[in-house]
Amino acid sequence: MTTEPQIRDPLEIERSEEARLRTAAGLPPVARSGEFAGFESVGLPDRPPQTDREREVYTLDEGEMLVNMGPQHPATHGVMRLVIKVRGEIVVDIDPVLGYLHRGIEKLCENATYTTVMTYVDPMDYLSAMHNEHAPAIAFEKLYGIKAPRRAEYIRALVVELNRVFSHGLMMGFQALDMGGLTPILMSFINRDEVVDLLSAISGQRMLFNFFRVGGVNFDVNDEFISRLSTWRAGVLKNVEMNERILTDNEIFRGRTIGMGVLSGKEAISLGVTGPSLRASGVPFDVRKAHPYCIYPELEFDVITQPGGDVYSRYLQRVAELKQSIHLIDQIVDKMPHGPVQAQVPGIIRPRPGRAYAAVESPRGLYSVYAISDGGPNPYRFRMRDPSFISLQAIPKLMPGRLIADTMAVMASFDPVMGGVDK
Amino acid sequence: MSVDLLLGVGRFVLATTLLLLMTVPTAFIVIQMEIKVIAQMQLRYGPNRIGPWGMFQSTIHGFKFLAKEDHMPDQADRATFTLAPWMVYMAAAMSMLVIPFAPGVIAADFNIGIVYFFAVIGLSVVGLLIAGWASYNKYSLLGGLRSAAQMVSYEIPLTLSVVGVVVLGGTLNFRELIAWQQAHGWMLLWQPIGLGIFYIASLAEINRTPFDMVEADSELVAGPFTEYSGMRFGFFFFAEYVALFIMSGIMTALFFGGWLAPWPFPAQLDGFAGTIYGLFWFFLKSYLFVFVAVWLRATLPRVRVDQLMGMAWKVLLPLAMLNLIATAGVVVWLNL
Repeated sequence: MTTEPQIRDPLEIERSEEARLRTAAGLPPVARSGEFAGFESVGLPDRPPQTDREREVYTLDEGEMLVNMGPQHPATHGVMRLVIKVRGEIVVDIDPVLGYLHRGIEKLCENATYTTVMTYVDPMDYLSAMHNEHAPAIAFEKLYGIKAPRRAEYIRALVVELNRVFSHGLMMGFQALDMGGLTPILMSFINRDEVVDLLSAISGQRMLFNFFRVGGVNFDVNDEFISRLSTWRAGVLKNVEMNERILTDNEIFRGRTIGMGVLSGKEAISLGVTGPSLRASGVPFDVRKAHPYCIYPELEFDVITQPGGDVYSRYLQRVAELKQSIHLIDQIVDKMPHGPVQAQVPGIIRPRPGRAYAAVESPRGLYSVYAISDGGPNPYRFRMRDPSFISLQAIPKLMPGRLIADTMAVMASFDPVMGGVDK
Repeated sequence: MSVDLLLGVGRFVLATTLLLLMTVPTAFIVIQMEIKVIAQMQLRYGPNRIGPWGMFQSTIHGFKFLAKEDHMPDQADRATFTLAPWMVYMAAAMSMLVIPFAPGVIAADFNIGIVYFFAVIGLSVVGLLIAGWASYNKYSLLGGLRSAAQMVSYEIPLTLSVVGVVVLGGTLNFRELIAWQQAHGWMLLWQPIGLGIFYIASLAEINRTPFDMVEADSELVAGPFTEYSGMRFGFFFFAEYVALFIMSGIMTALFFGGWLAPWPFPAQLDGFAGTIYGLFWFFLKSYLFVFVAVWLRATLPRVRVDQLMGMAWKVLLPLAMLNLIATAGVVVWLNL
């Protein structure tokens, strides 16, 4: 602890400390302007840069500094870490650092039987656990060569749309929270609790549902559930509309989001951004329409798009899709047939050797699974494409020249879930 | 030593002690109001365990600060790091000296009360700036610089909006200003634009939502307070909520007739009953504006730092200037 009384320049202290560490690491003591500065100032052990990109980000010009935002930062959606190069308050460059929530789920799945894979994929993107189960279920059914009964397909569509409702609802809250609005997130959680109560009534779990099975679903829905669903349907828009009243026409909210983080349709496609973020850039791509699966060909809905491509469009897109999902739920309940909910499958499934790919439209975009079978009881290879991970690529492209505060707004607008990014 | 001087010194010591003691319950009441009112607006219960309706939650918060470890970063500048909370807290406490609570209940009833108030409340920016500087933390530094930019910018429209009031009332003394308002009607009727500018600028001056750029928890963690813990943070926390009450009180005194009762009631009473009557109306009005600030916090997101500065210099400052010129014109024209 120093006891010198005079006020010192923190940047100067940093430079002297950096010099000490650099000398200890056998590097020249001072990184001159425009030279690679090393990793100490963001708390990493020093090493030579391993890629050109790394050299670019960690090379500081005069007046620039590196701010380490995360993994324990109030606004980075879990454990995301951004190394932000700033000049004053203006962002010069961003380097996302991932992997703080990596649990090796893909490898775990390769050591599980086809049925127990469903328990491992739930905690990936924990805000859309139903979608996480939907894609492997379709892929494994393709591998094994069976089809789920029609009632099971309807129940699947019902639960994934319910899941989409609360996921998009939460995005509204997080978008506001990252911009300093405190109330919408609580309305979102009331909304989420109502949906989660329904989903736990049907699956027995509140968050990690473990509801899908190869060739069907775990439980059937009964009349009591349908009546609860219609009660929920009557009041579901109340909290959403309260959030809309607080945010959509709010002058401060509009001032901070319109024209912010504009991603053109072309850029979005080249970056691989999918889902609501892509449609908000005006590209009408929805997996439910483009590559129909489940019972979506039988439902009537249009692909919603927004022209803007900015943060506000992405917010509006989520709100519109939330309402669309509620209309889809209405149609599903009306058309739901009777019958079994589970096809006949053996306890241990051993598909013939082969490979299968299945994609679903998750609340964050195209979520897909690629599975290879070698004839054994567990997948030989199990690979998941998570949309949050791909969307994060857009953030370093959008942010240079903007302010630190905008980083949070833009990040929230892509609605990343770190459980899915790190898998 | 004359008796008069002794009495004067005794009165000063008594008044300052009472005011310093008053900051603590004031902060507790405002914090309690904030947590309960926001809870109601967010359809929550809020704290309801300590005391009836959770009334003593904020008191417990205060004791919690006392019990916590007082941690200082290794490379922080000890002297300034320690000084910063005191500067912010004293700026808030000292400005209470001129608040007119009721007839005869003003700690220092002197002729430049308004000038004194704006001089002292502006001191807190120094405390925030050195807190950011001394913490040896990049978030703190950014927050400290933001606070300097924000508070210096908003002080100008804030003061200019009050100059209109001063020109109209012809005095810098709070007591005389309230007497003027009793004679001519509340300043609210004469200076509606000034009131709007004053309210917006005062929210920015005390770092309240939607202008809480200094803390900005989703960007800067906690701004200049990031490295503070224990009672040092407690002092910042107290100062912030006391400042909210003070700004509401000053707005009451400047625009809403201070201790005067509204229309259907008699404006003032005599004697001791008059003091209680004045205190009642003053606190009622002041806490009403505290409530409005809490309401705004529950409703609005935060503005961005460049929008904040743009608003001060491009909107509020020209508007305050025009308001001042118009007021001066009216005063000359009507020969008030």
